[in-house]
Amino acid sequence: MVLLGKVALGIAGTALAGLGLICSEGMIEVNVVEKQPEVHHVYVLAPAMLVPIATHLVPSRKLGRASAEIRPWMPTIRAALEQLRAGEDLTLVELREPGQHVLVAKSGGSVVVDVTDKDDIVHVSAPIRAIESTVEQVAAASSETQD
Amino acid sequence: MQKAMRAIGVCCVLALTISNLAVTAMAAPTERYIHIKVNDSSKGESVNVNLPLSMAAAILPTVNKGTLHNGHVTIGAADFNGVDVRAILQAIRTAPDNEFVTVKEKDQDVRVAKSNGDLIVHVLDKSKDGEKVDVTIPMKVVDALFSTAKENELDLAAAVRALSDAGDAVLVTVQDATEHVRIWIDSHSSAE
Repeated sequence: MVLLGKVALGIAGTALAGLGLICSEGMIEVNVVEKQPEVHHVYVLAPAMLVPIATHLVPSRKLGRASAEIRPWMPTIRAALEQLRAGEDLTLVELREPGQHVLVAKSGGSVVVDVTDKDDIVHVSAPIRAIESTVEQVAAASSETQD
Repeated sequence: MQKAMRAIGVCCVLALTISNLAVTAMAAPTERYIHIKVNDSSKGESVNVNLPLSMAAAILPTVNKGTLHNGHVTIGAADFNGVDVRAILQAIRTAPDNEFVTVKEKDQDVRVAKSNGDLIVHVLDKSKDGEKVDVTIPMKVVDALFSTAKENELDLAAAVRALSDAGDAVLVTVQDATEHVRIWIDSHSSAE
């Protein structure tokens, strides 16, 4: 009985440590509400670490075109993300027009994009570290294109 | 003896706290932001952009596309129309505060002046929209812009760095019948 308890404790501890590791880069949140013609609601909350891992699993030749296009801009992207990560929370861009509101902000280590218009509400939040890892993965992929 | 030890201990803690505060204050200079706000009342549209100047200064040297390279922008000789801009700037820099150009036409007023270390350009279009443009650029920024050795280049990165050191300032306002554009620098992360 004691042995079983120790095994269970070990499994629970490992699971908890794994969960902590997976969630260590924060969470990606996607919330989409379609208002018309019917109301649809999609909500995804996933560990941000899964995105670079998933990108790593994609055959590099499939990412060739994106890789070739993004590579010349990598120094700019790296500089921007580094500065964004180091800086305080702020609204980067806000656009308002009748029936539409777009907001791009940095909030608590994440980039947040909110779009609200008459048909949809979209909210995306992604940790900057996960964006960095993913972009680096894409840039490192082979540039042999596969269309 | 015990009192003396206690007093020394308190002094040490105080000294450490003060030195820590001083190091923190020196290590973290206040971030400065460039804000762009566009309002179009006829369409009910508004756009706000807030960008830390440190980010702009870090990004600019990494962009190599078109006429922009390593924080410099190349300008064709034709854009200067044969005018020696550096010589004019040198003359303005050394001159006292003054109005350099005043043009009053039927449709337009133009004024170029130097005041309190700022270069000021004011344009008023008297046509039906009544567009009014005010540009105020610190001379330090203008100097930085033309600090590159090449004749046909402007040093944008140096200008951004100079802007970081300048005080709070409204750089550009454009106002017509329906639209209002404002570009300014301050140490607030939001435009409000």
